[in-house]
Amino acid sequence: MKSYQVKIARSSADGGITRIGTFQVALEERMTVLDALFNIQRTQDDSLSFRCACRVGMCGTCAMYINSVPRLACKTQVSQLDTETVTIAPLPNLPVIKDLVVSLEPFFKQWKKIKPALHSPNRDATEPAKIPATSRYARETPQKRDCITCGICYGACGIKSTNEEYLGPAAINKAFLRLMDPRDTATEERLDVLNEERGGVWRCHTQFNCTAACPKKIDLTDTIMRLKRSMLFPSGFKKA
Amino acid sequence: MPAYRNVIWWYVQRITGALLVVLLTMHFWVEHFMSKTLMRGDLSYDVILSRISNPWWQGIDIAFLLVALLHGLNGLRNIILDYSRVGPRMTQAITVVLVVLGVMWSWWGIHAFSRL
Amino acid sequence: MRPTTTTNVVRKYSWQFSGMVAHIIQRVTGVLLLIYLFLHVHTIGELSQGQAAFDQALLMFKNPLFRLLEIGLLGLVILHALNGIRLTLIDLGLGHKRQQQLFWALSIGVAGLIFLIAAIPLFIASVLRS
Repeated sequence: MKSYQVKIARSSADGGITRIGTFQVALEERMTVLDALFNIQRTQDDSLSFRCACRVGMCGTCAMYINSVPRLACKTQVSQLDTETVTIAPLPNLPVIKDLVVSLEPFFKQWKKIKPALHSPNRDATEPAKIPATSRYARETPQKRDCITCGICYGACGIKSTNEEYLGPAAINKAFLRLMDPRDTATEERLDVLNEERGGVWRCHTQFNCTAACPKKIDLTDTIMRLKRSMLFPSGFKKA
Repeated sequence: MPAYRNVIWWYVQRITGALLVVLLTMHFWVEHFMSKTLMRGDLSYDVILSRISNPWWQGIDIAFLLVALLHGLNGLRNIILDYSRVGPRMTQAITVVLVVLGVMWSWWGIHAFSRL
Repeated sequence: MRPTTTTNVVRKYSWQFSGMVAHIIQRVTGVLLLIYLFLHVHTIGELSQGQAAFDQALLMFKNPLFRLLEIGLLGLVILHALNGIRLTLIDLGLGHKRQQQLFWALSIGVAGLIFLIAAIPLFIASVLRS
């Protein structure tokens, strides 16, 4: 058991970080930040608020700002932080509800803007669509489909911290997946949203923060750059 | 498929950037490393005037200025768009202001040559 | 719900990633270079006012502080140019996976090299003259 000092950015219910709560926690070697938070909540301060669900890195609920990097609390072992002081703050670029709980409303507002659902022309088809393993969709998108909408990329993005209308990497990645999907038909609407002056792909300036922070290791900057390059000939999206 | 204006500007920034690297190296070489200037001592009125009176050099310098302004002001526009919370109307206004600024600046530069 | 505020507990995480540092460098040097361009066009404009006015301007530039600023300008240009090359390469899809190494190798390493190669002869020349 090792003793860690945990500093948590606390805020009251009407938003804004108002104070730093400092706690001393004894943890086993493989315990995570989430374990530390549970420990604090149960034994030291039961007014501490934070979100979590699956505890195994699948749901994305426990995303927060840990030692200056947005991470999943359940996947961050305290021993791997290489320090005895753990600083936890709510995910940046999102409105704070209380303590470490943020509202993901802005994130999902951008998500919905790009029409994340599949717009298929054959909605009554009974046969499954066949997408060969050699098609572009099958070859180029598998590693991009793992998004758990945790909001970490949104919190990490340097542009998002100053630009409210920017779509954010997750939404753009989702749009890319739909654009590449041979079954989808809403190409035009999505391209219009992606090309917007104020919030589209052009607001990305390849800072790579999103790619570095993504817990699912999705290469988000690559997605955005591919979209930028292909905007010159947007009809290329549907070619096999 | 409708053409997307913004993609042009994205390519313009990169292409002008590459062009500027070439133009700048040439400019720097001519100004500082060619024997006439380096050996004769500091850049003086005569040396500069003799080169700038040549219309070929004027042409290159003007091209350099225009490309640099295109690159620089487009960059500035991107910075402003990233850090401001303005609507589409205001965005257009900012673009117009920068275009006017670019035109005036170019005119100022070209005019400097025409007065020689 | 009000937007989140940061305190000094939450350090600017962005500085941990070279991509962010490169972005900031590019923007800051870009704006500074634009300002320089303005001054440069102004000075060349002075040429047309005749020898006396131009020599007056040149006198100011012989000042050692100005010499230092000139060398600084050279540094700015080289940084901006090489980082710009790095960004263009990445935008074209080359070196995407190694953007961090590219930053250190190109934007800092090669830039430093070119800076030394260009700055030293200039520095020596100006020292010899004065």
